[in-house]
Amino acid sequence: MRFPFREFPIASGGDLTPRPMLDVWLEGIDVMPFAGLLDTGALRTRFSADLADLAGVDLAGAATERFAVGGVEVQGAAGRVSLRIAGEGLEHRWDAAVWFCDPWPFAFQLLGLDGFLRHFRITLSAYEEWVDCQPEG
Amino acid sequence: MREITIDGRRFELDEHAVTRALERVLPEPVYEHYVVIEGRRFPPKQVIGLVTGLDRAAFTTHHARRILSRLGFAAARRSQGGGPVEPREPATSPRGPRGGRHADALRPYIGQWVATQGDEVLVAAESPHAVVAWLARHGKTADSAFRVPESEAAAGGLAPR
Repeated sequence: MRFPFREFPIASGGDLTPRPMLDVWLEGIDVMPFAGLLDTGALRTRFSADLADLAGVDLAGAATERFAVGGVEVQGAAGRVSLRIAGEGLEHRWDAAVWFCDPWPFAFQLLGLDGFLRHFRITLSAYEEWVDCQPEG
Repeated sequence: MREITIDGRRFELDEHAVTRALERVLPEPVYEHYVVIEGRRFPPKQVIGLVTGLDRAAFTTHHARRILSRLGFAAARRSQGGGPVEPREPATSPRGPRGGRHADALRPYIGQWVATQGDEVLVAAESPHAVVAWLARHGKTADSAFRVPESEAAAGGLAPR
């Protein structure tokens, strides 16, 4: 499944550099997937805690951690969820460990090693601005 | 201020009053005709129904569109072939794989949560909860949802572990 890089505007005018992103469906929310930034430098896959609330993910008793990002202290709680990506008439579903974070300062969800990258063989062309995801195994 | 008559009743409206009234209102789905208010597309009947309090059966889309055009709002018709834009192979545009269309469509919504279908913004709201509720209420499905980043940092440039 190949996905083009995504374009975004800058408030002061002009555009951000297009970046590699995928739309990920979270089980429990049927009307829209969430744009996730491919982040090969991140160990974890991290979503906004708002999405756990929307999808009805039970985080009671979940493992938690605190970390700082951009000067903001964030609490993450680990959940096991079912994720899905779709494109070119294909789809792939997998169970993933996702850390739901509050507050969440980013505009997108972050797709890291655990929860996302371990499940796919990724080919990326920044020159041609696309990312290709093939499920492993 | 312009005086208008709808269904035998008179109203005084101007561009600023309409814009103010729509500030915190989510646009309903656009099926064909729309007007642009502060960069957002609204069905004309939604706007006139809201600012006059009249039942929408009391006027037609064309009447509402004409009134809003006279008040200074851009009115247009949705392209019938306007489905999602297919990604092309190599990037030849300096503005990205969609030639900047996606960024341009998102520009009025910086800082807001949006649900999109191709390059079209279906709805913009303050929270993902409001976006999901709007899609469910109108029987729509989006192909992406996110908050339009305010800055490079908000776009995810600072990765935690």
